[in-house]
Amino acid sequence: MARPYWKGYLKLSLVTCPVNMSPATSESEKVRFHTLNKETGNRVVSQYIDSVTGKPVKDGNEAKGYARGENDYVILTEDDLDAVALDTVKTIDIEKFVPAESIEWVYLEKPHYLMPDDAVGNEAFAVIRDAMKADKVVGVSKLVVGRREKAVVLEPRGEGIVLWSLRFGEEVRPEEAYFEDIDEEADPDLVPLVQQLIKKKTKRWSPDMVSDPIQESLLKLIEEKKKALKPKKKTAKAKGAPASNVINIMDALRKSVADELKSRKSG
Amino acid sequence: MASGHRAQWKGFIKFGEVSCGAALYTAASTSDRITFNTINKATGNRVNRVFIDGETEDPVPKELQTKGFEIENGQYIIIDPEEVAATIPESNKTLEIEAFIPCSDVDDVYFDKPYYLTPDKMGGDAFVALRDGMRKSKVAAIARTVLFRRMRTVLIRPHGKGLIATTLNYDYEVRSSKKAFEGMPKLKIEGEMLDLAKHIIGTKKGDFDPATFDDRYEAALAELVKAKIEGRSLPKPKKVEVSKPNDLLAALRESAGLTKAAEGKPKRTAANANKGMGRQRAARGAAAKSAAPKAAPQRKAS
Repeated sequence: MARPYWKGYLKLSLVTCPVNMSPATSESEKVRFHTLNKETGNRVVSQYIDSVTGKPVKDGNEAKGYARGENDYVILTEDDLDAVALDTVKTIDIEKFVPAESIEWVYLEKPHYLMPDDAVGNEAFAVIRDAMKADKVVGVSKLVVGRREKAVVLEPRGEGIVLWSLRFGEEVRPEEAYFEDIDEEADPDLVPLVQQLIKKKTKRWSPDMVSDPIQESLLKLIEEKKKALKPKKKTAKAKGAPASNVINIMDALRKSVADELKSRKSG
Repeated sequence: MASGHRAQWKGFIKFGEVSCGAALYTAASTSDRITFNTINKATGNRVNRVFIDGETEDPVPKELQTKGFEIENGQYIIIDPEEVAATIPESNKTLEIEAFIPCSDVDDVYFDKPYYLTPDKMGGDAFVALRDGMRKSKVAAIARTVLFRRMRTVLIRPHGKGLIATTLNYDYEVRSSKKAFEGMPKLKIEGEMLDLAKHIIGTKKGDFDPATFDDRYEAALAELVKAKIEGRSLPKPKKVEVSKPNDLLAALRESAGLTKAAEGKPKRTAANANKGMGRQRAARGAAAKSAAPKAAPQRKAS
């Protein structure tokens, strides 16, 4: 189950309920490569270096800085950022309802699943959801997502609500510039033929339509390399790896015993 | 066509035995959000990022970096970029329509990025016939081709005088809404509660043009930074009161403007995060929608 990445409130007029939200999409199943050092075969990792002292920055000392002037930063903590004076950080207040399908698809940016975060809100949530469903409308609100305040659209779906963040007007390029040379009207004799073809080729939507053959090939490639690697590794292991493994287990056992003794002493 | 813009892709669109030259143009870009600098808290200096070997801690120059896949903890298989490239099928540069699907059948949670799809000079007739046929039949089209070094499925649909091709996320990248919501209790709201909620919705019906929406975050953040510099304490967010199940009906009645503000006082405070506004809004009925976002008391964010 995906962990909710946002918790807050859904509000319609005087009705408020606690909700959580998680993204509908995730990259966790994607084949991911890491960067390796060709010479050593080790993983390459990034490290922060103080730009003035040249020394590595200790873990936990990295902070967000808002540039006040040149080389002058105001450090902001997560708590500070949460205190930004917008109700839309924590509350989705539905301000408006518009007919379902009236938001152009080109504005849909990222889908999220919204659901009650506590049983106390189940009924209030269901009231808002079912009333939108019955009226064939979607709700419009705003929410701070990723350091921007975005327009969001709430659409009832099944037991839950799909929340779309919308793109900003300046992010959607004006279509006129692209479509200006295209004819308004099609040849009236051609359209019925196209419709016949459409009829023949119409299918129901299925997630099979969005399979990823390249990912499958990559997984195969990895599998082959793994097989090729295995025997070699075993001989290598005979020398190095098992020994270190044994040491690790010994270390772990010793440490467990030591911890055990310590807790006995203190207890 | 579309002079002055650079096509992201040029090729053909094919349906049945008809094909015509076509191009894809980015329809939406991501505008900048506020970025922060990473600072070393201990010194107040900015930091730089370097790439080092995880074991030896020596810097690793770009030319020594390669790609690998982790098979077990800490064990990697090196994969050459050429081997990765070899998995990409040769592109036939053709968006061949594999199927049409009813518009009502489209699961939009798969949507990734939209592109304007336009015909070349010769292909106009076939293109507009496809556009109008799809519009009349209320369908979208599914096509596949190698785009940006991946085999991508796109959903094509009429948009104004042209077509929009939206890349779709892969099956393994999308969690279905069915799965996401399966643990939720099956509640169905009927009767007075539903009627009241529909009534409230009725008072808030309108139009919305996403193009006119303004982001208030930057201004609010600037205000926060100013307060911090001046050593003022940051305003605590108001505590949000949640509607209790027992108060839900009362909150709905009042939202719908059916109860006088004087009645049900104690109930209302429990169910209402913002009672002053609530009273006003209930009284004003249909005109209330403009009042909704102004819940925060003191500030002017924009």
